[in-house]
Amino acid sequence: MGSREKILGQIKANKPESLELPAIDLGLFDEGLDLLQEFTKKVEVVGGNVIQIASENEVQAKMTELFPDAKVKYSTLDETEAFNTLSIEAIQKPHDLEDLDILILKSDIAVAENGAVWLDDSKIPMRVLPFITKHLVFVLEEKSILGYMHEAYANIDDFGFGVFISGPSKTADIEQSLVIGAHGALSLTVFVKK
Amino acid sequence: MSHSKLASIFNKDEKKVDWHDKALWFVRHKRDLSVHQVKGWESLRDLGHGIKAHMLSNLDSYLQEFEKNAQANGVEVHWAANGEEHNQIVHKILKENNAKKIVKSKSMLTEECHLNPYLEADGMEVIDTDLGERIVQLAKEPPSHIVLPAIHKNKHEVDELFQEHLGTEPCDGDPQYLTHEARKHLREKFITADAAITGVNFAIAETGGFVVCTNEGNADMGAHLAPVHIACMGVEKIIPKQEHLGVFLRLLARSATGQPITTYSSHFRKPKDGRKMHIVIVDNGRSEQLSRPDFRASLHCIRCGACMNTCPIYRRSGGHSYDATIPGPIGSILSPGKDLTKHSSLPFASTLCGSCSNVCPVKIDIHSQLYKWRQIITKETPQPFVKKASMKMMGTMFSKPSQFERVGKLARWSLRTLPKSVINAKPNTWGKERDLPKGPKQSFDEWYAEKRKQE
Repeated sequence: MGSREKILGQIKANKPESLELPAIDLGLFDEGLDLLQEFTKKVEVVGGNVIQIASENEVQAKMTELFPDAKVKYSTLDETEAFNTLSIEAIQKPHDLEDLDILILKSDIAVAENGAVWLDDSKIPMRVLPFITKHLVFVLEEKSILGYMHEAYANIDDFGFGVFISGPSKTADIEQSLVIGAHGALSLTVFVKK
Repeated sequence: MSHSKLASIFNKDEKKVDWHDKALWFVRHKRDLSVHQVKGWESLRDLGHGIKAHMLSNLDSYLQEFEKNAQANGVEVHWAANGEEHNQIVHKILKENNAKKIVKSKSMLTEECHLNPYLEADGMEVIDTDLGERIVQLAKEPPSHIVLPAIHKNKHEVDELFQEHLGTEPCDGDPQYLTHEARKHLREKFITADAAITGVNFAIAETGGFVVCTNEGNADMGAHLAPVHIACMGVEKIIPKQEHLGVFLRLLARSATGQPITTYSSHFRKPKDGRKMHIVIVDNGRSEQLSRPDFRASLHCIRCGACMNTCPIYRRSGGHSYDATIPGPIGSILSPGKDLTKHSSLPFASTLCGSCSNVCPVKIDIHSQLYKWRQIITKETPQPFVKKASMKMMGTMFSKPSQFERVGKLARWSLRTLPKSVINAKPNTWGKERDLPKGPKQSFDEWYAEKRKQE
């Protein structure tokens, strides 16, 4: 008998009588949040920052202003040929992305209660991109901000890989001192189009 | 060695104990601030408990559903009855892919199975990439906490370790500099890795996908760069549906560190074209724990570490004093199920104050289970003579009110009259670090009777 059968057999023999699966009542959690305000607050709490814009065209100029020394840049926004310094199609190995300074990605799901932004394969040309870049930028519309994780999951469907990102990477593993910039992004900026 | 003996070693450095105690209490405090902001927090905990209890009661069918869906996603699923089989499976996959350099993100399961030494014995390089885990790996120690693996080390010790192993400059323990150096050192490891191993926080039966949570981004750096990704999970990591992630991701980070969510909550479902993804499902004693009605709820655990941060014993004795992969209150109810004799002192490393149960995000009755393990351990493992004799004596005394009164009178008189040298003599361990109170003239019974008379 293989381990699979052995494990499943033991579990079947040892499990308790079937217990009911509780239903999630979303009414219990709703506090009528001002979504943009709460989202902004939470992104700041986790070490990122939110900039409101009227048009996507403002993003590149703003990023060039914030990081004038950035050399390697990539954006998935429309009309970013002039901004992009690399072509994802030309990248043979993801390892060649090591010097990426700025990455700008679109998202259409964000969560107010924790400042998280959802990305999946449809938004990320190469999976390692949002982790390997030094500075990470999201662009989303205000209407994409949902209140709670429950609502976010109701809107997430088919994907091969997806990730909620809340703030830049961080660690407090040395004497509990918070250091921003562990293995992932050193900074995170979210542009919200009103 | 027993918990109390190992704790006394940790207690030698009083300053360090104080720091450790306060640092963890601070994390507990951050948890409080964070969860008090969430409307319906208690309902969330109830849901967490209910979903896990339901999952355990249908675990065999959910595991099969998960397997089927994962396979349909192009993921290879393996089953390991115990730690050794887990290690053999991982080793075989690595061999088949000709992998020599492996990066690993935090996984308490691979610690439990002692995977690293197994792979290293065959000449493979295994690098723990979570900063805290890398620190303890360099120090050749096990993690002392499941979320804060190097909480027992101060920054000067890390400074010295990095100077020795990574060739850093002396920096008076500057966390910013040390973290940055670790980033550089591990970046190189990520770039050159042949395979990545991660743990699993949640595995979703409905989709065959799994979720890995980190703050550093190390799991993703490993998994997306290396050609092979192996994810190792205990059978109890299953949850039925994707919508349940909404409950658990809201509970996990707030309970762990007070963050509203971890920086990265990565959802793996399908491997990228040309890449390989494996899942190893491990039992290693879990199905046996499932057979124990009093203790099966310990399998609800989502490994947040809140019970450790709040525990007055853990904070003052350090994670290594538990001599178990999972330390603290939750470890003390999990470990005896694996080896009752080795871990027989752990359920006694508690004041039974119940704080662990109060903070547990999935409402495990940890302190009740600690009490229940004590009943079993006292019956099934040999107890020290003095403890056995004194318990018997006390049992008789408590069952006879007149005898209890006489002994009480004598004790109160002794505490009033005898010199400290006698009261705090060696056999009285309670007198070790504290003065006992002065014995009152009246017993509570006498005081109560007198009050009643006056009314």
